[in-house]
Amino acid sequence: MIGALSIARRETSALFNTPVGWVALTAFTFIGGFFFSYLIYAYFNVYQQSVGNPQEADQLSVNEFVIQNLFSNLGLIALFILPAVTMRLIAEDRRQKSIELLLTSPIGSFQIALGKFLGGMGFAMVMAGSTVPYMWFLYAFGDPDSGIVVANYVGFTLLCGTIIALGTFCSAMTENQIVAFMMTFAGGLLLWISGWFTQYMDDSALKTFVTSCSMLNHADSMGKGLLHSQDVIYFLTFIGFFLFATSQRVEALRWR
Amino acid sequence: MIEVSGLTKSYGDTLALSDVSFTVKKGEVVGFLGQNGAGKSTTMRIIAGSLGASAGTAKVDGVDVAENPAKVQRILGYAPETPPLYGNMTVGDYVRFAATIKGVTDIDAATKMALGRVGLESVAHRIIDNLSKGYRQRVGLAQALVHDPKVLVLDEPTSGLDPAQRIEIKNLIQSLSEGDDRTVMLSTHVLAEIEAICNRVIIIHKGKIVAQSDLATLSGGADKKVHLELRRPEGAMEAMRRVAGVTSVEHDGVKLVVTGERDVREAVAAAAIPFGLLSMQGQSLEDTYIQLTTRGTA
Repeated sequence: MIGALSIARRETSALFNTPVGWVALTAFTFIGGFFFSYLIYAYFNVYQQSVGNPQEADQLSVNEFVIQNLFSNLGLIALFILPAVTMRLIAEDRRQKSIELLLTSPIGSFQIALGKFLGGMGFAMVMAGSTVPYMWFLYAFGDPDSGIVVANYVGFTLLCGTIIALGTFCSAMTENQIVAFMMTFAGGLLLWISGWFTQYMDDSALKTFVTSCSMLNHADSMGKGLLHSQDVIYFLTFIGFFLFATSQRVEALRWR
Repeated sequence: MIEVSGLTKSYGDTLALSDVSFTVKKGEVVGFLGQNGAGKSTTMRIIAGSLGASAGTAKVDGVDVAENPAKVQRILGYAPETPPLYGNMTVGDYVRFAATIKGVTDIDAATKMALGRVGLESVAHRIIDNLSKGYRQRVGLAQALVHDPKVLVLDEPTSGLDPAQRIEIKNLIQSLSEGDDRTVMLSTHVLAEIEAICNRVIIIHKGKIVAQSDLATLSGGADKKVHLELRRPEGAMEAMRRVAGVTSVEHDGVKLVVTGERDVREAVAAAAIPFGLLSMQGQSLEDTYIQLTTRGTA
C-alpha cells in the first residue's frame, strides 16, 4: 500500500511539475467559473421575474437551478479534461522506460495500477477543491441544501474516478499518449450518452442494461441529492473493473 | 547467489534465449559479455523480474523470481541500460521515491547513502533532465543501490559515456563489489572493463552461453599465444622458432604471433629482448571473444 501511495503522490506532483496539470486545471476553473456565473445570472433573472408570483418563487430552488446544473456541467468538463490528464499515467512510463523501475521494485502490478489511478484522483481532488469557492458563495448569499451539496460532490468524485480508471487502463494499453487520450475520451463519452438511445427503445432487457450503463442517469440521480446504493455501486463497479484490467495489463507488460 | 537454468525466451518467432544456464556465486563480480542482440538484456531483465521467461528458471538466493518476484526484488538492485528515470524530478526526490517503493524503512538514510555512494550529493537538488549523461547513468545506479541490495544486476552501466565518465563508473562498480561482499553481474561489450573489474566472464552469443570461466583461464587460452611488437623485427622470426616449446611463428603485419605448446611467455620474452621488445601480450580476452562469437554458432 505504501508503494501505491508513493506512486500516487509522485504522479500528482508530476502533473503540477509540468504544464499539463496547470493547463488542465486552468481550463477546468475557467469553464467551470463561466458556467457558475452564467447559472447565477440566470437564477437571479428568473428570481426577479417570479417576484409577485409566490407559487413560482416557491418552486425556484438554488439547489436544483444552480447546484445540480453546475455539477452536471462540471462532470461534462471533467469528461473532456481528465483524459488529457490520465493519458500519460502509464504510457509515459513505458515510453521513457521508467516503467522498469516500477516493474523491478517489490510492489505488485496491482499496486502500480492503484497508484497510477490514485495519482489521477489526486488531480481530480484538486479540481473538486477549485469549486469550493462557488459553494462558499452560495452559502454566503443563499441557503443551499447541504445534503444536495454533499451528494453532488460524492457523485462528481465517483464520476471522475470512473473516467480516471478508464483512462489509466487506456494509458496502459499503448505507449502513444494521443491514442490513450482518444480511447478514454471516446469510451467516456459513449458511457455518458448511451442513455440517450433508451428513449427510442422498446422495453426489454437491453433497454434496462443500456439505461443502467449510462453514466448520465446515475450522475443525474446523485445530483438530485439521492445517494442510492445502486448509483454508488455502478461507479465503484466500473472503477474496480478498470483497476483490475489495468493491473492485468501491467502484469502482461512483463511478458512482452 | 544467481542460478539460471534452462532459460528460454522467445519473442514471437524469434528465439532470444535458448537454454541459458549459469550460476554466479556469492561475492563474485561476473562480466556478461556478448554482441548487441545476443540476449544480455533479456537475461538480466528476467533475473530482475521485469520480464517473464518462456521456459526455465532464474533463482536469486534460492528464490525463484517467477514465483516470488517481490522477495527477490527486495535483495536485488537492477540498473537497466536506459536508466529508468523521471526526467522532471530532482535527483534527491527521485532516489527517495525509489527508496519508498522498494520498501526501505529509513528513507532519509538510504537516500543519503545511495547519493553518497555514486557521488551525487552535490546535484541532489537538480532536475534529472538537466544532467549530463554520465550523471544520469549514476542516478540509475543510485536507484539500484538505494535498498542496499545483496545482488546488483547492471545492464551496460557505461554505455554511451565518454572515457573519463567510463573510468568513474568503473571505479564506482569496483568500490561496490569490494568489501560489502556484494554479488555483481554486469553486462558490457567493452572488454577492457570486464578485464579490469570482473573475476569471471560469461559469454553469450545468439542466445546461447558459449563460454563461462575465470578471466585468467579464458584469456590464457588453450593455444598459448603471445603477441610481440618489436623495434627490429628482422630475423626475429627465426630466433623465435628456436625457442624451446614454440610450435609456430607468424607475422600478422604488425606483430609477431608466437604459438607455443605450453606457456612459453618467459622464454619468448628473453629471446625477444635483443630485437627491441616494445610490447608483449598473451592471448587476450578479446581474441577469445572474437573466436567464440565469430565462428557462426547458430
